[in-house]
Amino acid sequence: MNQNLSPHTQELLEQYRKLLPVYEKMADVIPEKLKEFFDEAGIIVAAVEHRVKAEKSLAGKLQLKGDKYKDIFDITDLVGLRVITFYIDDVDKVASIVERLFEIDWENSIDKRKIHEIDSFGYLSLHYICRVPESSYNDPEHPEINKIRFEVQMRTVLQHAWANMNHDTGYKSGVEIPLIYKRNMSRLAGMLELVDDEFSRIRQEISDYRRNVQKLVASGNLSEVQLDGDSFNSYMKIRPFDSLTRRIASINQAEIQEVDLSQFLGLFKAMGFKTLGDIANLIKEYSDAAYQIACFQMGITDLDIISSSVAPQNLCTAFILKKGWGSGGLKSMLDALNGPSESNAFMAEYLLEQTKDLPFMNK
Amino acid sequence: MEVIINKKGQETVVGLVGRLDTPASIEIAPQIEDLKEATSGTVILDCKDLEYISSSGLRLFLGLRKAAAEKGGKIVVSNISPEIRSVFMMTGFLNLFEIR
Repeated sequence: MNQNLSPHTQELLEQYRKLLPVYEKMADVIPEKLKEFFDEAGIIVAAVEHRVKAEKSLAGKLQLKGDKYKDIFDITDLVGLRVITFYIDDVDKVASIVERLFEIDWENSIDKRKIHEIDSFGYLSLHYICRVPESSYNDPEHPEINKIRFEVQMRTVLQHAWANMNHDTGYKSGVEIPLIYKRNMSRLAGMLELVDDEFSRIRQEISDYRRNVQKLVASGNLSEVQLDGDSFNSYMKIRPFDSLTRRIASINQAEIQEVDLSQFLGLFKAMGFKTLGDIANLIKEYSDAAYQIACFQMGITDLDIISSSVAPQNLCTAFILKKGWGSGGLKSMLDALNGPSESNAFMAEYLLEQTKDLPFMNK
Repeated sequence: MEVIINKKGQETVVGLVGRLDTPASIEIAPQIEDLKEATSGTVILDCKDLEYISSSGLRLFLGLRKAAAEKGGKIVVSNISPEIRSVFMMTGFLNLFEIR
């Protein structure tokens, strides 16, 4: 025992040692509980960090202001959690989950985002002092869990980076740094604040764009929707090839194996399609031809299983043939769908030969 | 129908010899079921000596593909004849597997 410490400090440290297993349990359980709620709310965070204050660090703190604490339960940062988000607006979402999950000691919680003057920049973070209510977690072996307060810090990745670097350059050495460096750190804080806002704004715009695409797809205004990854995925949700797929399956009463059709996006773009309307037109104009190809190929077999990619594949085949792109076009299609291969040239020739006398080729 | 299995580290090469029709598919189903254990690595289905494949055979291939997707491995189909390749193409199975 350190003889330089006051009896009160030594008493507090003794209480700390007794409760250490409880602190460690809390540091294990609380982050897991938080992560569960983040998952439920669909919030992706960069990290949830946790730590239990080391005895040495606590002793240092108590030496400076031990008299402030009546007992160990008055110290609120023995268990500390830090939730680091990617986006600035997720800090508030995380905060609302923390508020829902724990009892907040509002008197001791600080929103450091609001304490800056209008013309100053610096450390931004939200600190809550919390307690686990029995309704959220109840452990008869450790009833103290519901009594111990702990700290949750919430900040973005950029705020976290700035805070760490500021700490490293400003305080670690214990030497006061010249004002010019402090000013430079503040400039960086201001810039990172702008970057955080910009990331959030971009995310919001992307969400708006996706919602708009979904609305246009649902309303059938497909020619207004530019063909890209997002719009293609939205379009696939309304299963535009289903009718043709079922028609093809009916040739041999085949089972349909659902597969991912995302590889067709690149092919449609290579075929010069610009909007979802182009795909809708393909289905409208070439479904009969695609069905004729399937009938010719499968009608003489007893194959009773097909993948859901047959319909778009046959549509593209019919389109390429009608455009007169020949075996070169078919090979490019097979390369796009199955990966480049010399044998695709053979299959392209084979397809060309198979389809040349089909009714749609002579229309 | 013969199935020849050779394991080389993380890679399992499965030689398929003969006609993979419905009776043959039933016959080799237990061996294919055992193979699912190996799908955390790469399973190469060597079709050099495969003369024919029916829907039942395709279903066996699909079963392996599903197991590989669950275990993080992959199924490679190699040395397929033009006839079998055309079966894969007309059923839309060609892009479900890595074809070598």
